[in-house]
Amino acid sequence: MTPPDDAPGRERRILGLPPGTWPRILAPLVVGLLLLGGWEWAVRHFAVPAYILPGPVAIARTLVADWPTLSGSLAVTLRITVLALLVATAAGLALSILFSQSKWVEMTFLPYAVMLQVTPVVAIAPLIIIWVDNIQASLLICAWIVAFFPVVSNTTIGLNSTDRNLLDLFRLYGATRWQTLVHLRLPAAMPFFLAGLRISGGLSLIGAIVAEFVAGAGGASSGLAYRILESGYQLQIPRMFAALALISFSGVLIFLALSLVSHLMLRRWHESALRKDH
Amino acid sequence: MTGRPGSAETAGVQEDGTIAASGHTAPSREDSTGPAPVVALRGVTKRYGNGTLAVQGLDLDITTGSFVSLLGPSGCGKSTVLRMVAGLSPLTAGGIAWPRAAGRPPKLGFVFQEPTLMPWKTAIDNVALPLRLEGVAKAERHRRAREMLDLVGLSDFANSYPRELSGGMRMRVSIARALVTEPEVLLLDEPFAALDEITRFRLNNDLLRLWESRRFTAVFVTHSVFESVYLSQRVVVMAANPGRLHADLPIAAPARRDEAFRTSPDYAALCRTVSEALERAMKA
Repeated sequence: MTPPDDAPGRERRILGLPPGTWPRILAPLVVGLLLLGGWEWAVRHFAVPAYILPGPVAIARTLVADWPTLSGSLAVTLRITVLALLVATAAGLALSILFSQSKWVEMTFLPYAVMLQVTPVVAIAPLIIIWVDNIQASLLICAWIVAFFPVVSNTTIGLNSTDRNLLDLFRLYGATRWQTLVHLRLPAAMPFFLAGLRISGGLSLIGAIVAEFVAGAGGASSGLAYRILESGYQLQIPRMFAALALISFSGVLIFLALSLVSHLMLRRWHESALRKDH
Repeated sequence: MTGRPGSAETAGVQEDGTIAASGHTAPSREDSTGPAPVVALRGVTKRYGNGTLAVQGLDLDITTGSFVSLLGPSGCGKSTVLRMVAGLSPLTAGGIAWPRAAGRPPKLGFVFQEPTLMPWKTAIDNVALPLRLEGVAKAERHRRAREMLDLVGLSDFANSYPRELSGGMRMRVSIARALVTEPEVLLLDEPFAALDEITRFRLNNDLLRLWESRRFTAVFVTHSVFESVYLSQRVVVMAANPGRLHADLPIAAPARRDEAFRTSPDYAALCRTVSEALERAMKA
Protein backbone atom coordinates (compact mmCIF):
# COMPACT_ATOMS: atom_id res chain seq x y z
CA MET A 1 0.00 0.00 0.00
CA THR A 2 1.88 3.03 -1.24
CA PRO A 3 0.84 6.57 -0.43
CA PRO A 4 -0.84 8.32 -3.35
CA ASP A 5 1.64 10.09 -5.60
CA ASP A 6 -0.59 13.12 -5.87
CA ALA A 7 -0.25 13.98 -2.20
CA PRO A 8 -0.16 17.76 -1.90
CA GLY A 9 3.34 19.05 -1.25
CA ARG A 10 4.75 22.55 -0.86
CA GLU A 11 4.20 24.45 -4.04
CA ARG A 12 6.23 27.26 -5.53
CA ARG A 13 4.40 30.57 -5.42
CA ILE A 14 4.91 33.99 -7.00
CA LEU A 15 3.33 36.81 -4.99
CA GLY A 16 1.11 34.28 -3.25
CA LEU A 17 -0.21 32.69 -6.42
CA PRO A 18 0.91 29.45 -8.07
CA PRO A 19 3.00 30.17 -11.22
CA GLY A 20 0.38 28.58 -13.49
CA THR A 21 -2.19 31.20 -12.48
CA TRP A 22 -0.25 34.22 -13.70
CA PRO A 23 -0.72 33.77 -17.47
CA ARG A 24 -4.44 33.49 -16.85
CA ILE A 25 -4.42 36.91 -15.24
CA LEU A 26 -1.80 38.60 -17.38
CA ALA A 27 -2.85 37.49 -20.86
CA PRO A 28 -6.37 39.01 -20.76
CA LEU A 29 -4.97 42.07 -19.00
CA VAL A 30 -2.43 42.73 -21.75
CA VAL A 31 -5.06 42.31 -24.46
CA GLY A 32 -7.37 44.68 -22.58
CA LEU A 33 -4.68 47.36 -22.25
CA LEU A 34 -3.75 47.06 -25.94
CA LEU A 35 -7.40 47.41 -26.91
CA LEU A 36 -7.93 50.47 -24.71
CA GLY A 37 -4.69 52.03 -26.01
CA GLY A 38 -5.75 51.42 -29.61
CA TRP A 39 -9.16 52.89 -28.89
CA GLU A 40 -7.70 56.04 -27.32
CA TRP A 41 -5.23 56.40 -30.20
CA ALA A 42 -7.96 56.01 -32.84
CA VAL A 43 -10.25 58.54 -31.16
CA ARG A 44 -7.45 61.11 -31.00
CA HIS A 45 -6.00 60.35 -34.41
CA PHE A 46 -9.31 60.57 -36.28
CA ALA A 47 -10.58 63.37 -34.00
CA VAL A 48 -13.86 61.56 -33.24
CA PRO A 49 -16.20 63.88 -31.34
CA ALA A 50 -17.01 62.78 -27.78
CA TYR A 51 -20.78 62.68 -28.45
CA ILE A 52 -20.17 59.88 -30.95
CA LEU A 53 -17.37 57.90 -29.36
CA PRO A 54 -15.47 59.13 -26.31
CA GLY A 55 -12.01 57.69 -25.62
CA PRO A 56 -11.22 55.68 -22.49
CA VAL A 57 -9.51 58.65 -20.88
CA ALA A 58 -12.58 60.84 -21.30
CA ILE A 59 -14.77 58.07 -19.94
CA ALA A 60 -12.50 57.64 -16.92
CA ARG A 61 -12.60 61.39 -16.28
CA THR A 62 -16.41 61.38 -16.42
CA LEU A 63 -16.49 58.39 -14.09
CA VAL A 64 -14.50 60.36 -11.51
CA ALA A 65 -16.36 63.62 -12.04
CA ASP A 66 -19.84 62.06 -11.93
CA TRP A 67 -18.98 59.55 -9.23
CA PRO A 68 -21.44 60.97 -6.67
CA THR A 69 -24.41 60.39 -9.02
CA LEU A 70 -23.09 57.20 -10.56
CA SER A 71 -22.16 55.53 -7.26
CA GLY A 72 -25.67 56.14 -5.99
CA SER A 73 -27.12 54.48 -9.08
CA LEU A 74 -24.62 51.64 -8.81
CA ALA A 75 -25.76 50.98 -5.24
CA VAL A 76 -29.41 50.93 -6.34
CA THR A 77 -28.73 48.45 -9.15
CA LEU A 78 -26.49 46.22 -7.04
CA ARG A 79 -29.05 46.10 -4.26
CA ILE A 80 -31.72 44.80 -6.65
CA THR A 81 -29.22 42.38 -8.19
CA VAL A 82 -28.07 40.88 -4.90
CA LEU A 83 -31.59 40.65 -3.51
CA ALA A 84 -32.82 39.00 -6.71
CA LEU A 85 -29.94 36.51 -6.58
CA LEU A 86 -30.65 35.67 -2.95
CA VAL A 87 -34.35 35.16 -3.54
CA ALA A 88 -33.66 33.22 -6.76
CA THR A 89 -31.21 30.96 -4.93
CA ALA A 90 -33.54 30.27 -2.03
CA ALA A 91 -36.61 29.77 -4.20
CA GLY A 92 -34.69 27.76 -6.79
CA LEU A 93 -33.21 25.48 -4.17
CA ALA A 94 -36.55 24.95 -2.47
CA LEU A 95 -38.30 24.26 -5.76
CA SER A 96 -35.70 21.75 -6.93
CA ILE A 97 -35.81 19.91 -3.61
CA LEU A 98 -39.58 19.74 -4.01
CA PHE A 99 -39.11 18.42 -7.56
CA SER A 100 -36.67 15.77 -6.41
CA GLN A 101 -39.05 14.49 -3.75
CA SER A 102 -41.84 13.69 -6.15
CA LYS A 103 -41.82 12.89 -9.84
CA TRP A 104 -45.41 14.16 -9.98
CA VAL A 105 -44.57 17.60 -8.65
CA GLU A 106 -41.72 17.85 -11.13
CA MET A 107 -43.87 16.71 -14.05
CA THR A 108 -46.59 19.18 -13.10
CA PHE A 109 -44.61 22.32 -12.40
CA LEU A 110 -41.41 22.10 -14.43
CA PRO A 111 -43.16 23.16 -17.68
CA TYR A 112 -44.31 26.36 -15.97
CA ALA A 113 -40.81 27.09 -14.73
CA VAL A 114 -39.60 26.62 -18.30
CA MET A 115 -42.36 28.87 -19.60
CA LEU A 116 -41.35 31.59 -17.18
CA GLN A 117 -37.77 31.21 -18.34
CA VAL A 118 -38.36 31.35 -22.09
CA THR A 119 -40.70 34.34 -21.98
CA PRO A 120 -38.48 37.40 -22.51
CA VAL A 121 -38.48 39.54 -19.39
CA VAL A 122 -38.66 42.72 -21.50
CA ALA A 123 -42.07 41.57 -22.63
CA ILE A 124 -43.52 41.02 -19.18
CA ALA A 125 -41.68 43.76 -17.29
CA PRO A 126 -44.20 46.51 -18.26
CA LEU A 127 -47.05 44.36 -16.90
CA ILE A 128 -45.25 43.69 -13.65
CA ILE A 129 -44.44 47.37 -13.24
CA ILE A 130 -48.11 48.25 -13.77
CA TRP A 131 -49.37 45.53 -11.40
CA VAL A 132 -46.91 46.04 -8.58
CA ASP A 133 -47.15 49.45 -6.97
CA ASN A 134 -43.78 49.43 -5.34
CA ILE A 135 -41.15 50.06 -8.02
CA GLN A 136 -38.38 48.31 -6.05
CA ALA A 137 -40.54 45.23 -5.65
CA SER A 138 -41.40 45.12 -9.33
CA LEU A 139 -37.73 45.42 -10.30
CA LEU A 140 -36.90 42.64 -7.89
CA ILE A 141 -39.58 40.39 -9.37
CA CYS A 142 -38.29 40.97 -12.91
CA ALA A 143 -34.69 40.22 -11.94
CA TRP A 144 -35.79 37.17 -9.98
CA ILE A 145 -37.74 35.72 -12.93
CA VAL A 146 -34.63 35.87 -15.08
CA ALA A 147 -32.28 34.57 -12.42
CA PHE A 148 -34.03 31.66 -10.79
CA PHE A 149 -34.24 29.15 -13.61
CA PRO A 150 -30.56 28.10 -13.84
CA VAL A 151 -30.56 27.28 -10.13
CA VAL A 152 -33.76 25.24 -10.44
CA SER A 153 -32.79 23.28 -13.51
CA ASN A 154 -29.19 22.63 -12.48
CA THR A 155 -29.98 21.65 -8.91
CA THR A 156 -32.81 19.39 -10.07
CA ILE A 157 -30.44 17.56 -12.41
CA GLY A 158 -27.90 17.31 -9.59
CA LEU A 159 -30.43 15.94 -7.12
CA ASN A 160 -31.65 13.38 -9.64
CA SER A 161 -28.22 12.13 -10.67
CA THR A 162 -27.11 10.85 -7.28
CA ASP A 163 -24.97 7.69 -7.43
CA ARG A 164 -27.43 4.78 -7.42
CA ASN A 165 -25.16 2.58 -5.34
CA LEU A 166 -24.91 5.25 -2.67
CA LEU A 167 -28.70 5.51 -2.68
CA ASP A 168 -28.85 1.73 -2.23
CA LEU A 169 -26.37 1.99 0.61
CA PHE A 170 -28.52 4.57 2.38
CA ARG A 171 -31.55 2.32 1.85
CA LEU A 172 -29.66 -0.66 3.26
CA TYR A 173 -28.99 1.25 6.46
CA GLY A 174 -32.59 2.38 6.71
CA ALA A 175 -31.88 6.07 6.13
CA THR A 176 -34.89 8.36 6.27
CA ARG A 177 -35.85 10.59 3.35
CA TRP A 178 -34.49 13.54 5.27
CA GLN A 179 -31.15 11.83 5.99
CA THR A 180 -30.81 10.83 2.34
CA LEU A 181 -31.50 14.41 1.27
CA VAL A 182 -29.16 16.10 3.72
CA HIS A 183 -26.28 13.64 3.76
CA LEU A 184 -26.38 12.40 0.18
CA ARG A 185 -28.50 14.17 -2.40
CA LEU A 186 -27.77 17.78 -1.49
CA PRO A 187 -23.98 17.38 -1.21
CA ALA A 188 -23.96 15.38 -4.46
CA ALA A 189 -25.94 18.15 -6.17
CA MET A 190 -23.65 20.88 -4.84
CA PRO A 191 -21.42 21.19 -7.97
CA PHE A 192 -24.52 21.43 -10.17
CA PHE A 193 -26.10 24.00 -7.87
CA LEU A 194 -22.96 26.13 -7.83
CA ALA A 195 -22.69 26.03 -11.63
CA GLY A 196 -26.29 27.24 -11.79
CA LEU A 197 -25.56 29.92 -9.23
CA ARG A 198 -22.76 31.38 -11.35
CA ILE A 199 -25.11 31.71 -14.31
CA SER A 200 -27.85 33.15 -12.10
CA GLY A 201 -25.48 35.78 -10.71
CA GLY A 202 -24.93 37.26 -14.16
CA LEU A 203 -28.59 36.89 -15.07
CA SER A 204 -29.85 38.70 -11.99
CA LEU A 205 -27.76 41.72 -13.00
CA ILE A 206 -29.14 41.51 -16.54
CA GLY A 207 -32.66 41.14 -15.15
CA ALA A 208 -32.23 44.16 -12.90
CA ILE A 209 -30.88 46.29 -15.77
CA VAL A 210 -33.63 45.27 -18.18
CA ALA A 211 -36.31 45.99 -15.61
CA GLU A 212 -34.74 49.38 -14.86
CA PHE A 213 -34.77 50.20 -18.57
CA VAL A 214 -38.46 49.45 -18.80
CA ALA A 215 -39.24 51.31 -15.58
CA GLY A 216 -36.77 54.09 -16.43
CA ALA A 217 -38.51 54.77 -19.73
CA GLY A 218 -41.40 55.89 -17.54
CA GLY A 219 -39.05 58.04 -15.50
CA ALA A 220 -39.40 55.98 -12.34
CA SER A 221 -36.01 54.60 -11.43
CA SER A 222 -32.57 55.70 -10.37
CA GLY A 223 -30.33 52.74 -11.18
CA LEU A 224 -27.50 52.53 -13.70
CA ALA A 225 -29.84 51.71 -16.57
CA TYR A 226 -31.75 54.88 -15.86
CA ARG A 227 -28.49 56.83 -15.96
CA ILE A 228 -27.75 55.36 -19.38
CA LEU A 229 -31.19 56.35 -20.67
CA GLU A 230 -30.88 59.80 -19.18
CA SER A 231 -27.40 60.32 -20.61
CA GLY A 232 -28.69 59.22 -24.00
CA TYR A 233 -31.43 61.83 -23.93
CA GLN A 234 -28.92 64.47 -22.91
CA LEU A 235 -26.25 63.31 -25.38
CA GLN A 236 -23.87 62.84 -22.44
CA ILE A 237 -22.19 59.93 -24.20
CA PRO A 238 -19.10 59.73 -21.94
CA ARG A 239 -21.39 59.32 -18.92
CA MET A 240 -23.32 56.64 -20.79
CA PHE A 241 -20.06 54.75 -21.29
CA ALA A 242 -19.09 55.31 -17.67
CA ALA A 243 -22.36 53.74 -16.50
CA LEU A 244 -21.86 50.90 -18.97
CA ALA A 245 -18.36 50.28 -17.62
CA LEU A 246 -19.74 50.10 -14.10
CA ILE A 247 -22.31 47.52 -15.16
CA SER A 248 -19.64 45.39 -16.84
CA PHE A 249 -17.35 45.61 -13.84
CA SER A 250 -20.19 44.64 -11.52
CA GLY A 251 -20.98 41.63 -13.70
CA VAL A 252 -17.38 40.46 -13.75
CA LEU A 253 -17.10 41.00 -10.00
CA ILE A 254 -20.24 38.96 -9.32
CA PHE A 255 -18.93 36.18 -11.53
CA LEU A 256 -15.55 36.17 -9.79
CA ALA A 257 -17.11 36.21 -6.34
CA LEU A 258 -19.39 33.27 -7.14
CA SER A 259 -16.50 31.40 -8.76
CA LEU A 260 -14.53 31.87 -5.58
CA VAL A 261 -17.42 30.58 -3.47
CA SER A 262 -17.71 27.59 -5.78
CA HIS A 263 -13.98 26.90 -5.63
CA LEU A 264 -13.86 27.13 -1.85
CA MET A 265 -16.76 24.71 -1.46
CA LEU A 266 -15.54 22.13 -3.96
CA ARG A 267 -11.76 22.33 -3.80
CA ARG A 268 -11.35 19.34 -1.50
CA TRP A 269 -13.26 16.85 -3.59
CA HIS A 270 -14.70 17.85 -6.94
CA GLU A 271 -12.93 17.36 -10.26
CA SER A 272 -13.91 20.81 -11.52
CA ALA A 273 -11.98 22.48 -8.71
CA LEU A 274 -8.78 20.50 -9.18
CA ARG A 275 -5.82 21.59 -11.20
CA LYS A 276 -5.12 19.20 -14.04
CA ASP A 277 -1.34 18.98 -13.81
CA HIS A 278 0.22 16.88 -11.09
CA MET B 1 -26.54 -31.20 -13.31
CA THR B 2 -25.73 -34.38 -11.45
CA GLY B 3 -22.87 -35.45 -9.27
CA ARG B 4 -19.45 -35.61 -10.75
CA PRO B 5 -16.67 -37.93 -9.84
CA GLY B 6 -13.89 -36.25 -7.97
CA SER B 7 -15.90 -33.63 -6.15
CA ALA B 8 -17.53 -34.28 -2.85
CA GLU B 9 -20.50 -32.22 -3.78
CA THR B 10 -24.19 -32.05 -3.84
CA ALA B 11 -25.63 -31.25 -7.17
CA GLY B 12 -27.81 -28.59 -8.50
CA VAL B 13 -31.25 -27.60 -7.47
CA GLN B 14 -32.56 -29.54 -4.56
CA GLU B 15 -35.85 -31.07 -5.42
CA ASP B 16 -37.35 -30.86 -1.99
CA GLY B 17 -39.55 -28.39 -3.67
CA THR B 18 -40.93 -26.27 -0.86
CA ILE B 19 -41.37 -22.87 -2.32
CA ALA B 20 -42.05 -20.51 0.48
CA ALA B 21 -44.85 -18.05 0.03
CA SER B 22 -42.94 -15.15 1.46
CA GLY B 23 -40.45 -14.01 4.04
CA HIS B 24 -40.77 -15.84 7.31
CA THR B 25 -40.18 -19.48 6.59
CA ALA B 26 -38.27 -22.01 8.53
CA PRO B 27 -35.68 -23.72 6.39
CA SER B 28 -37.21 -26.90 5.13
CA ARG B 29 -34.03 -28.87 4.70
CA GLU B 30 -32.45 -28.64 8.12
CA ASP B 31 -28.99 -30.14 8.15
CA SER B 32 -28.75 -32.62 10.95
CA THR B 33 -25.08 -31.92 11.38
CA GLY B 34 -24.27 -28.27 10.83
CA PRO B 35 -25.54 -25.23 12.70
CA ALA B 36 -28.68 -23.47 11.54
CA PRO B 37 -28.16 -21.44 8.39
CA VAL B 38 -28.02 -17.69 8.82
CA VAL B 39 -30.10 -17.26 5.71
CA ALA B 40 -32.24 -19.67 3.71
CA LEU B 41 -33.38 -18.97 0.17
CA ARG B 42 -36.35 -20.96 -1.11
CA GLY B 43 -37.51 -20.88 -4.72
CA VAL B 44 -36.16 -17.39 -5.09
CA THR B 45 -37.22 -16.01 -8.45
CA LYS B 46 -36.66 -12.62 -10.01
CA ARG B 47 -38.31 -11.38 -13.14
CA TYR B 48 -37.53 -7.84 -14.21
CA GLY B 49 -40.11 -5.42 -15.57
CA ASN B 50 -38.96 -6.06 -19.14
CA GLY B 51 -39.74 -9.77 -18.78
CA THR B 52 -36.16 -11.00 -18.31
CA LEU B 53 -36.04 -13.95 -15.95
CA ALA B 54 -32.90 -13.11 -13.96
CA VAL B 55 -33.15 -15.83 -11.33
CA GLN B 56 -35.40 -18.86 -11.21
CA GLY B 57 -36.23 -21.17 -8.31
CA LEU B 58 -33.04 -20.71 -6.35
CA ASP B 59 -32.71 -22.75 -3.14
CA LEU B 60 -29.71 -22.00 -0.99
CA ASP B 61 -28.80 -22.30 2.69
CA ILE B 62 -25.86 -20.34 3.94
CA THR B 63 -24.25 -21.63 7.10
CA THR B 64 -23.60 -19.18 9.88
CA GLY B 65 -20.02 -17.98 9.90
CA SER B 66 -19.13 -19.55 6.56
CA PHE B 67 -17.48 -18.00 3.53
CA VAL B 68 -19.53 -18.74 0.42
CA SER B 69 -18.81 -17.62 -3.14
CA LEU B 70 -21.42 -17.25 -5.83
CA LEU B 71 -19.61 -17.95 -9.09
CA GLY B 72 -20.99 -17.74 -12.58
CA PRO B 73 -20.81 -16.14 -16.00
CA SER B 74 -22.09 -12.63 -16.38
CA GLY B 75 -25.85 -12.54 -16.63
CA CYS B 76 -26.40 -15.52 -14.33
CA GLY B 77 -28.10 -13.33 -11.76
CA LYS B 78 -25.53 -13.70 -9.00
CA SER B 79 -25.49 -9.99 -8.23
CA THR B 80 -29.29 -9.98 -8.33
CA VAL B 81 -29.34 -12.73 -5.72
CA LEU B 82 -27.08 -10.67 -3.50
CA ARG B 83 -29.26 -7.60 -3.89
CA MET B 84 -32.35 -9.63 -3.01
CA VAL B 85 -30.65 -11.00 0.09
CA ALA B 86 -29.75 -7.42 1.04
CA GLY B 87 -33.37 -6.38 0.60
CA LEU B 88 -32.44 -3.94 -2.14
CA SER B 89 -34.47 -5.72 -4.80
CA PRO B 90 -37.90 -7.28 -4.27
CA LEU B 91 -38.47 -10.97 -5.04
CA THR B 92 -40.90 -11.96 -7.78
CA ALA B 93 -41.54 -15.33 -6.12
CA GLY B 94 -40.08 -17.43 -3.34
CA GLY B 95 -38.80 -16.39 0.04
CA ILE B 96 -35.72 -15.46 1.98
CA ALA B 97 -35.72 -16.49 5.63
CA TRP B 98 -33.40 -15.56 8.47
CA PRO B 99 -33.94 -18.46 10.87
CA ARG B 100 -31.52 -17.29 13.57
CA ALA B 101 -33.00 -13.85 14.06
CA ALA B 102 -36.65 -14.87 14.31
CA GLY B 103 -37.12 -14.27 10.61
CA ARG B 104 -35.86 -10.70 10.65
CA PRO B 105 -32.71 -9.90 8.70
CA PRO B 106 -29.72 -9.35 10.96
CA LYS B 107 -27.27 -6.51 10.51
CA LEU B 108 -25.89 -6.60 7.00
CA GLY B 109 -22.87 -5.08 5.38
CA PHE B 110 -22.65 -4.56 1.63
CA VAL B 111 -19.57 -3.96 -0.49
CA PHE B 112 -20.31 -2.81 -4.03
CA GLN B 113 -18.33 -3.37 -7.21
CA GLU B 114 -17.20 0.24 -7.01
CA PRO B 115 -15.93 1.67 -3.74
CA THR B 116 -19.08 3.84 -3.70
CA LEU B 117 -17.66 6.47 -1.36
CA MET B 118 -18.98 9.97 -0.88
CA PRO B 119 -16.30 12.13 -2.53
CA TRP B 120 -17.09 15.12 -0.30
CA LYS B 121 -16.34 13.18 2.88
CA THR B 122 -13.01 12.10 4.31
CA ALA B 123 -12.19 8.42 4.68
CA ILE B 124 -13.14 8.39 8.36
CA ASP B 125 -16.46 10.13 7.72
CA ASN B 126 -17.20 7.67 4.94
CA VAL B 127 -16.53 4.75 7.26
CA ALA B 128 -18.65 6.35 9.99
CA LEU B 129 -21.64 6.87 7.67
CA PRO B 130 -23.67 3.80 8.74
CA LEU B 131 -23.24 4.80 12.39
CA ARG B 132 -24.25 8.35 11.62
CA LEU B 133 -27.44 7.10 9.99
CA GLU B 134 -28.08 5.04 13.12
CA GLY B 135 -27.74 8.19 15.19
CA VAL B 136 -24.53 7.24 17.00
CA ALA B 137 -22.87 10.27 18.62
CA LYS B 138 -19.94 11.82 16.79
CA ALA B 139 -17.16 10.92 19.23
CA GLU B 140 -18.30 7.33 19.44
CA ARG B 141 -18.74 6.85 15.69
CA HIS B 142 -15.34 8.37 15.00
CA ARG B 143 -13.74 6.09 17.56
CA ARG B 144 -15.28 3.03 15.94
CA ALA B 145 -14.54 4.25 12.41
CA ARG B 146 -10.90 4.83 13.36
CA GLU B 147 -10.74 1.33 14.76
CA MET B 148 -11.98 -0.05 11.43
CA LEU B 149 -9.52 2.07 9.46
CA ASP B 150 -6.71 0.68 11.62
CA LEU B 151 -7.96 -2.80 10.86
CA VAL B 152 -7.78 -2.28 7.09
CA GLY B 153 -4.38 -0.58 7.38
CA LEU B 154 -5.44 2.97 6.63
CA SER B 155 -4.78 4.66 9.97
CA ASP B 156 -2.71 7.35 8.30
CA PHE B 157 -5.36 8.24 5.75
CA ALA B 158 -8.33 8.94 8.00
CA ASN B 159 -8.53 12.55 6.88
CA SER B 160 -7.85 11.94 3.20
CA TYR B 161 -10.55 12.45 0.64
CA PRO B 162 -11.41 9.52 -1.67
CA ARG B 163 -9.78 11.20 -4.67
CA GLU B 164 -6.49 11.25 -2.78
CA LEU B 165 -6.58 7.47 -2.33
CA SER B 166 -5.62 4.70 -4.75
CA GLY B 167 -8.21 2.24 -6.05
CA GLY B 168 -7.16 -0.42 -3.55
CA MET B 169 -7.27 2.02 -0.65
CA ARG B 170 -10.74 3.18 -1.63
CA MET B 171 -11.92 -0.41 -1.63
CA ARG B 172 -10.43 -0.84 1.85
CA VAL B 173 -12.40 2.18 3.03
CA SER B 174 -15.50 0.61 1.51
CA ILE B 175 -14.85 -2.66 3.37
CA ALA B 176 -14.20 -0.79 6.61
CA ARG B 177 -17.52 1.01 6.18
CA ALA B 178 -19.34 -2.29 5.61
CA LEU B 179 -17.83 -3.77 8.78
CA VAL B 180 -18.19 -0.76 11.08
CA THR B 181 -21.65 -1.79 12.26
CA GLU B 182 -20.25 -5.26 13.09
CA PRO B 183 -22.67 -7.01 10.75
CA GLU B 184 -23.48 -10.69 11.03
CA VAL B 185 -23.50 -11.05 7.28
CA LEU B 186 -21.18 -9.34 4.81
CA LEU B 187 -22.35 -9.28 1.21
CA LEU B 188 -19.69 -8.54 -1.41
CA ASP B 189 -20.54 -7.91 -5.06
CA GLU B 190 -17.37 -8.48 -7.11
CA PRO B 191 -15.54 -5.96 -4.93
CA PHE B 192 -12.07 -6.55 -6.39
CA ALA B 193 -12.96 -6.94 -10.06
CA ALA B 194 -11.65 -3.51 -11.03
CA LEU B 195 -8.33 -3.82 -9.19
CA ASP B 196 -4.96 -4.93 -10.51
CA GLU B 197 -3.83 -8.42 -9.63
CA ILE B 198 -1.27 -7.48 -6.99
CA THR B 199 -3.74 -5.31 -5.13
CA ARG B 200 -6.42 -7.94 -5.51
CA PHE B 201 -4.26 -10.69 -3.98
CA ARG B 202 -3.41 -8.44 -1.07
CA LEU B 203 -7.03 -7.53 -0.47
CA ASN B 204 -7.99 -11.23 -0.74
CA ASN B 205 -5.60 -11.96 2.13
CA ASP B 206 -6.82 -9.01 4.15
CA LEU B 207 -10.44 -10.01 3.67
CA LEU B 208 -9.66 -13.57 4.83
CA ARG B 209 -7.85 -12.24 7.88
CA LEU B 210 -10.81 -10.02 8.75
CA TRP B 211 -13.19 -12.90 8.28
CA GLU B 212 -11.07 -15.15 10.52
CA SER B 213 -10.86 -12.56 13.27
CA ARG B 214 -14.41 -11.23 13.19
CA ARG B 215 -16.35 -14.32 12.11
CA PHE B 216 -19.09 -12.80 10.08
CA THR B 217 -20.80 -14.79 7.36
CA ALA B 218 -19.43 -13.78 3.99
CA VAL B 219 -21.30 -14.10 0.70
CA PHE B 220 -18.94 -13.21 -2.09
CA VAL B 221 -20.04 -12.75 -5.68
CA THR B 222 -17.29 -13.18 -8.26
CA HIS B 223 -16.63 -14.31 -11.79
CA SER B 224 -13.10 -15.42 -10.95
CA VAL B 225 -12.61 -19.15 -10.34
CA PHE B 226 -9.25 -18.50 -8.68
CA GLU B 227 -10.60 -15.91 -6.32
CA SER B 228 -13.58 -18.03 -5.31
CA VAL B 229 -11.41 -21.07 -4.55
CA TYR B 230 -8.83 -19.04 -2.67
CA LEU B 231 -11.36 -17.36 -0.42
CA SER B 232 -14.26 -19.66 0.19
CA GLN B 233 -15.25 -22.75 2.07
CA ARG B 234 -17.92 -23.36 -0.50
CA VAL B 235 -18.41 -22.30 -4.09
CA VAL B 236 -21.92 -22.12 -5.51
CA VAL B 237 -21.78 -22.24 -9.30
CA MET B 238 -24.64 -20.59 -11.14
CA ALA B 239 -25.82 -20.96 -14.74
CA ALA B 240 -27.41 -18.27 -16.85
CA ASN B 241 -30.66 -17.86 -18.81
CA PRO B 242 -32.41 -18.10 -16.47
CA GLY B 243 -30.08 -17.65 -13.51
CA ARG B 244 -30.14 -20.81 -11.44
CA LEU B 245 -28.05 -22.95 -9.16
CA HIS B 246 -25.84 -25.35 -11.09
CA ALA B 247 -23.39 -26.91 -8.65
CA ASP B 248 -22.52 -26.59 -4.99
CA LEU B 249 -18.89 -27.39 -4.27
CA PRO B 250 -17.29 -27.47 -0.84
CA ILE B 251 -13.68 -26.34 -0.89
CA ALA B 252 -11.61 -28.60 1.31
CA ALA B 253 -8.56 -26.47 1.90
CA PRO B 254 -6.20 -25.75 4.77
CA ALA B 255 -7.48 -23.44 7.45
CA ARG B 256 -4.57 -21.13 6.81
CA ARG B 257 -4.77 -19.70 3.30
CA ASP B 258 -1.78 -17.72 2.17
CA GLU B 259 0.63 -17.40 -0.73
CA ALA B 260 1.84 -20.95 -0.11
CA PHE B 261 -1.70 -22.19 -0.65
CA ARG B 262 -2.09 -20.03 -3.74
CA THR B 263 0.83 -21.83 -5.40
CA SER B 264 0.10 -25.34 -4.10
CA PRO B 265 -1.00 -28.27 -6.29
CA ASP B 266 -4.08 -28.64 -4.06
CA TYR B 267 -5.17 -25.17 -5.03
CA ALA B 268 -4.58 -25.89 -8.70
CA ALA B 269 -6.62 -29.09 -8.49
CA LEU B 270 -9.49 -27.31 -6.74
CA CYS B 271 -9.43 -24.58 -9.34
CA ARG B 272 -9.63 -27.18 -12.08
CA THR B 273 -12.66 -28.84 -10.47
CA VAL B 274 -14.46 -25.52 -10.07
CA SER B 275 -13.44 -24.43 -13.53
CA GLU B 276 -14.91 -27.58 -15.03
CA ALA B 277 -18.13 -27.06 -13.13
CA LEU B 278 -18.27 -23.49 -14.42
CA GLU B 279 -17.70 -24.67 -17.96
CA ARG B 280 -20.56 -27.13 -17.66
CA ALA B 281 -22.71 -24.37 -16.20
CA MET B 282 -22.01 -22.22 -19.23
CA LYS B 283 -23.04 -25.01 -21.58
CA ALA B 284 -26.07 -25.98 -19.52
